[in-house]
Amino acid sequence: MIRAVRSSSFAIPAAVVAVLAVYALGFASSYDQRLLTLAGVYLILVLGYQFIFGHAGALSLAQGSFFGVGAYTTGILATAWNPGFVVTFPLSILCASLIAGLVAIPVLRLQTHYFALATLALSQLLLLVAVNWEGLTGGANGLAGVPPIEVLGWTASRGLPLLAVVWAIAGTAMLVARWQMGPDRTASFTVAREAPIAAPAFGMDTQMMRFRAFLLSAAFGGAAGALFVHTNRVVSPETLGFGVMVTCLTMTVVGGRYTVLGALIGALLLTHLPEWLRDLDRYYLVALGVLLLVMVVFAPNGLAAFVSRSPSRTAPNSLATAHPADLVRGDVRLVATALSKTYGGIRALDGVSLDLQPGEIVGIIGPNGAGKTTLANVLTGTARAESGTVLVAGIDVTKRNPHEIARLGIARTFQTPQLPSGLSVEDIVETARRHAAVPQPPETNALLSFCGLASIVPIAADTLPHGTRRMVEICRAVAARPGILILDEPAAGLTPKEQLDLGTLCRSLATAGMGILLIDHNIDFLRPITDRLVCMDAGRIVADGPPGETLEDPRVREAYFGLDIQ
Amino acid sequence: MRSFPFFGAVVIVAATAWSAVMPTRAEDPLRIPVLVPITGFLSLEGTSQKNGAELALVGSKVAFSVEDTATSPEIAINAFERAADAGGVVAVVAPMLGTQMLALVPLADEFELPLVTVSGTAKITDLGSPNVFRFFPGDVVVKEAQARYAVEELGAKRPAIVYQTTAYGQSGRAELQDNLLALDAPPVFEEGLDVSVKDLLPVLTKVRDSGADALLLHLHSGPTALAVRQAKALGLDMPIIAGSAMHQPETAALLAPAELGGVCAETGSSPVSETSEEVRTFVDAYRRAFDREPDAFALGQYDGTKMVLAAIAAGARTPADVRTYLQTARHDGLAMTYMSDGTGNMAHSAVIICYDGEDRVPDIVKRYGNLTGVL
Repeated sequence: MIRAVRSSSFAIPAAVVAVLAVYALGFASSYDQRLLTLAGVYLILVLGYQFIFGHAGALSLAQGSFFGVGAYTTGILATAWNPGFVVTFPLSILCASLIAGLVAIPVLRLQTHYFALATLALSQLLLLVAVNWEGLTGGANGLAGVPPIEVLGWTASRGLPLLAVVWAIAGTAMLVARWQMGPDRTASFTVAREAPIAAPAFGMDTQMMRFRAFLLSAAFGGAAGALFVHTNRVVSPETLGFGVMVTCLTMTVVGGRYTVLGALIGALLLTHLPEWLRDLDRYYLVALGVLLLVMVVFAPNGLAAFVSRSPSRTAPNSLATAHPADLVRGDVRLVATALSKTYGGIRALDGVSLDLQPGEIVGIIGPNGAGKTTLANVLTGTARAESGTVLVAGIDVTKRNPHEIARLGIARTFQTPQLPSGLSVEDIVETARRHAAVPQPPETNALLSFCGLASIVPIAADTLPHGTRRMVEICRAVAARPGILILDEPAAGLTPKEQLDLGTLCRSLATAGMGILLIDHNIDFLRPITDRLVCMDAGRIVADGPPGETLEDPRVREAYFGLDIQ
Repeated sequence: MRSFPFFGAVVIVAATAWSAVMPTRAEDPLRIPVLVPITGFLSLEGTSQKNGAELALVGSKVAFSVEDTATSPEIAINAFERAADAGGVVAVVAPMLGTQMLALVPLADEFELPLVTVSGTAKITDLGSPNVFRFFPGDVVVKEAQARYAVEELGAKRPAIVYQTTAYGQSGRAELQDNLLALDAPPVFEEGLDVSVKDLLPVLTKVRDSGADALLLHLHSGPTALAVRQAKALGLDMPIIAGSAMHQPETAALLAPAELGGVCAETGSSPVSETSEEVRTFVDAYRRAFDREPDAFALGQYDGTKMVLAAIAAGARTPADVRTYLQTARHDGLAMTYMSDGTGNMAHSAVIICYDGEDRVPDIVKRYGNLTGVL
């Protein structure tokens, strides 16, 4: 059960739509019906935008372009050949999706403002095409005389028939959005968005998730654009203009980025609000701006957050505890050979070789900058080695992506816990469990109990103390049922009691067959639980052996403790 | 508190419903909504259009309301449907923006409401609608005047065209091309500019290098002023014959009188240049009412609205009555005589104005009357 039930409540949107239906049938004038029709069109647009902007967390400025592509596809086909709505509507969706698919290849690799700028460039490019390819698009005039929607001989004329068609499609879009972004996927996207580095480390293919969200947003945008053309009976470059994008963005922010209800509120409110303020003559834009500002300031998470609330949950009274043997993928051996990695002129890894056997706990120590974390990054695919090989269970993973390596049985934690905000402990562990590429991942509750987290199951992870957050992250790593576990400074900031508990947990997992690589500075923590201790310095391994021997090694004493330490 | 979400839903829906149940303005027997772009990139021209309509309607017994259509077809349709919902509408002052008109024409046909506009976009009267009435000479008229003046009066043989990549610009460019070809003076250079372009030196340099002997502009107000200023700064040694935006006092106000010297432009009329008593009275009333100078759009919309009022004075009480009057009557307006050509083009004359470099009030140097032969 995912805590992100923010998106699971469908009763309120359904109630709103039902009331709107009564209003449209019984009370709305022709003008009111038009506004409701437009709101339905924008609802589809915003639902699509939520995929990429809300769930994937990428500021795409191309949603208006997909809207325009859908609009022009319908406009061109309908005015030239009028093959009917059953042809033009799917083709509008297809064209927008195809363009998104093509653009996604170079653009989706970009992050933050680079992604925004790239998508903005797309919109400008399409606008130029629409304005200047007069023979096809009608140029700046656009194409007039788009016929109304006609299906099987029935014409959806202006007013109620068109309203009914648009809202039938909008209702379908709401269901599709609900289906595509149910609680589980919402939680996965939350993790991918809030903890982008950690997400691939437990098997999450974040690039594919972004690609899928981008395609969905384009498909919804294309559908909205097609309906918009039938609503206005004309297509012009304004449909590709930045104004559409701003409208869409505003609706999404004001209503809410993640929920169907948010899209519904944003589309309804922002379609009607400018019309309500028209009587203010020239000042309506000022009034509209002030109102939007107030809404964004006082409801930064969208107005939907005021309406829908997550139900409160309590910790279960008792949970069965998982057996360590059920948490370990058997016989996964990690072999790294001659790994090298440089950052600029600094050799972070210089010919490092390491062999981690199933059931073995290996500690890695070394001064800051020795290359310990770089080694963890290279072993898990977060960074790519320039030379050398990494074998996991005999498979060469040197050039594989992090999520692929994770699925082969390597899990890890990070120096600073990478936990998404807003998700409960249970949600975080459950999400990792669902992305585990193993037939029988451990039961979430049993795993939480094994990690000593049963009492904090419903609590948001970002509100927990540091030591507990570390344990949540370790629990999440174990949820993938790995064969190899790499913990980067897990004891940092832990109390002695917490260190003791962590050591016990590691030992029980190792006993069940898990190979564990412990990177830490805390010798008192490492010495009693490690089978071998490796010391690194300047990107090289300077000692590797039983803890006692390593710690007595003169090279270790020189590199790690300093010569003056007796 | 379980009811809170439902309360929220009810609030949203109630707010939506509010627009339906809120009291409408008191209904008069007859109403003429004024739907014009008073915000956005066409606000200058749209405000002139609004002022012209207002000046004609104030003091009449016809009720009117002004609705901003901004610059998108969607908002224009919203405004139209909102206005039409009020009832008693016999005609609509419709926006001058071509894309908005193209969206409104099918709706006007459905509602059977006459649209009275000063839009120059040629296509709006090519749609076969009986409800479009244009009281500003269309591109067919003014672009013929512009091309003929350049070729016949100034002796241009190799003109250059710089136009805007808007509906207005592309429509005018096509008419200019046709007219110049007919006059055996094909353009040697053409380039379209987006309204956001802020530096025209590159395109003006290309005009100079093209070997052109006259520059024909078809730009909106701001770009027109910019083009004239930068052409002077560049020392572009060729006559400039601009589009109707140049005749607007607001455009001239952006330039020093010396920069305006020798610049000419086509337009339907130039109220501030006219000396007839009727037009002077209009100009004075306009200045008093709006504290600004009137232009051809204001005068054209004033004349168009006056013709609708004349229809009402002649007994028209329904949109059909007004439409019939507009289709068949001849109206002597302040700018010119208006009569439909059967497709809704009511204006058939144009003038060429030129600035003498001494002040910002242009002189009418050439009148092209009845270019379509309708009158």
